[in-house]
Amino acid sequence: MTTATPRRAATAAASSKPRRARSNRLAPYLFTTPAIVLYIVFTVIPVAYAIWLSLRAYRVTGGALGRKQDVFVWFENYLAVLQDETFLAGFGRLLIYGVIAIPLTLGLALLFALLLDAPAVRAKRFSRTAIFIPYAVPGVVAALLWGFMYLPSTSPFSFLTKAAGLGPIPFLEESGIFGSLANIAIWGGVGFNMIIIYTSLRGIPADIYESARLDGANELQIAWRIKIPLVMPALVLTGFFSLIGTIQLYSEPATLRPMTSTISASWVPLMAIYRDAFGTDNLPQAAAASTLLAVGTVLVSALVLRLVNRRRNGVES
Amino acid sequence: MRTHRPLAAAVAGLAIIGVAGLAGCSGSDANSDGPVQLEYWAWASNSQDVVDQWNKENPDIQVKYTDAGGGTDSSAKLLTANRAGNAPDVALVEYTTLPAMIVADVPADITEYVSDVEDAFTEGTWAQTTFGGVVYGIPQDVGPMANVYRADRFAELGVTPPKTWAEFRTAAEAIKAADPATVIATLPPAEFGFWAGVSTQAGAQWWSSEGDEWTVGIADEPSLEVADFFQALVEDGLVSTDPLLTPEYNAALNNGTMLSWPSAVWAPSVIENVAADTSGGWEMAPLPQWTEGDAAVPYQGGSALVVTTSSDHPEEAAKFAKWLNASEEGNDLMINTQSLYPAAIAGQEMTESNDPPALMPQQTDFYSVAAEISADTIPVTWGPNVNLARTVFADELQKAIDNGTPWRDAFIATQKAVIDDMVKSGFTVTND
Repeated sequence: MTTATPRRAATAAASSKPRRARSNRLAPYLFTTPAIVLYIVFTVIPVAYAIWLSLRAYRVTGGALGRKQDVFVWFENYLAVLQDETFLAGFGRLLIYGVIAIPLTLGLALLFALLLDAPAVRAKRFSRTAIFIPYAVPGVVAALLWGFMYLPSTSPFSFLTKAAGLGPIPFLEESGIFGSLANIAIWGGVGFNMIIIYTSLRGIPADIYESARLDGANELQIAWRIKIPLVMPALVLTGFFSLIGTIQLYSEPATLRPMTSTISASWVPLMAIYRDAFGTDNLPQAAAASTLLAVGTVLVSALVLRLVNRRRNGVES
Repeated sequence: MRTHRPLAAAVAGLAIIGVAGLAGCSGSDANSDGPVQLEYWAWASNSQDVVDQWNKENPDIQVKYTDAGGGTDSSAKLLTANRAGNAPDVALVEYTTLPAMIVADVPADITEYVSDVEDAFTEGTWAQTTFGGVVYGIPQDVGPMANVYRADRFAELGVTPPKTWAEFRTAAEAIKAADPATVIATLPPAEFGFWAGVSTQAGAQWWSSEGDEWTVGIADEPSLEVADFFQALVEDGLVSTDPLLTPEYNAALNNGTMLSWPSAVWAPSVIENVAADTSGGWEMAPLPQWTEGDAAVPYQGGSALVVTTSSDHPEEAAKFAKWLNASEEGNDLMINTQSLYPAAIAGQEMTESNDPPALMPQQTDFYSVAAEISADTIPVTWGPNVNLARTVFADELQKAIDNGTPWRDAFIATQKAVIDDMVKSGFTVTND
């Protein structure tokens, strides 16, 4: 084989040079075909279908119990979404939730990552896994688990405060609901974000620390002056994930909803979309709201990235 | 923060509906030789046992059962499956959502197949599935409204069980005075069926139609008075509005601090599922009345079997539905293996020789009380957008409770949303 191959290849190359050149040109496209096909089938077509659906509506003709017809209504659904107070109120709730959840998740993730990276720390692997494990718990399970810890009759925390004569903690009331939901997200998300930041920390060459120590920096100064600036790209990335995750908040409030009357059917935008699609048989309006939400997410993400980049460039120059 | 993607999932979900629509396959097997295959969606417990019995007796018509999840999930699935052209042949549909299903062209006109069993049902029950002279379904179970209460705790606290809503208030006050930790009931905004029921009982008609026109009466005077009455009860701390069947609620049932559930005759099996240890303490009585001496009650819950427009075997499907709901054998199975309160007159009579439900073994007259309640019911018409009314009502009423604003405003806001939605959808509404 080894002796025969070069000769055969050489003759093949000599006899069919143009074809081989062509197949070389085609190969890169061939390699990307699976990705492109999957992208078209599972992303482009669904999005196009959702947009098409958002321009339609079910209208009844023919009497008290006439039949619904699928008709074209241009941008009527978009107008309806933009005028839907309950849908818009959901964004206000997302804002409150995000202000609590995002800084705490990132802050704790960064803190844990820095602590694990500190040279004197023992039992690193165990701690890392312990902090990461909640991320492996599915969102719905986590929400149920916490839900039982929030309900006044089953909550161990409320049990303690009741025993102290203070009454139950209002986890699921208007006053506590944002904190309670953010807590579930923080519990589940810190580990994941910590791993990203920690990996980034491990990628920093050790000689930088060495020279810092030679210059007399202590561990705190190293963390503040060297580590945090160098893991900034990881922080931007995790912040970006957190922002998108916040806009897509759904399973935690939807799971807690049966346990409390504080969470309405349209508490966050995705719940309102679900209600329209599967509760009130208004799939077109749900499609319009989904499209708006997707476009909004992309715009907000682009804006945030741009601000961050500009700031970083400003700092560097 | 978690990076799961519900938005992507929602978009993909919309896409799957579309792809399924393109595939456009029918739910039933259309081969001419061999037995007819029917698909059947329902959610009542032990439905599979009933279907097995049918399959054993009818080798020519074989039924495949799918548990489609409770009434609300099931109706959402049925609507999307029907649009995709792959709905089951036979499906269970709640009376409240049947008009919405008809408007979406889910149930087929089965008048010619089922008119022979019309006499098996009371007029009021049959009217729940007949619209404009066309029969769209066969009633399966009904939920005449009733009050299920802790007879033992009422006696212990020295309180008389209420026969009217005025007495309900007095009883609630007496209970609160005797034991502040105990409450007579919780009446949450999400229980749309209850609120529609007590308003109907007071004389309101939340939906009615004449000719091609609808009239919406959610903000009728009787409904608004109902709102005022219960608002006062809640503001005086006499009833709770916390949701039903949460761990919280179940704990209260079990420790005897939740004394009644004004609902319907199906309530005992629900309570038994979560508080079996309290068996023997409960009893069922007719729902309290607005006017002393009245006997008629509305329905809360209940469902019918429909044959879908996408079925290739409507006649066989109707035959199966008739056997299930209108035959003696079907009713026997419904009562004894499924614990349902049947819609058929013969089925209701059969229950009287049955033992009372496990929750109240000592109430030997349970089924005669049930039959008595069921004999005098108020007919009710449901509109084509009950699900919208349900979510708007729950949110508006909750807002009123939280903000301390008048409850009647919630009824008025719901009426407005319901009318707006109907007009937008193309219905003619007289009080638009």
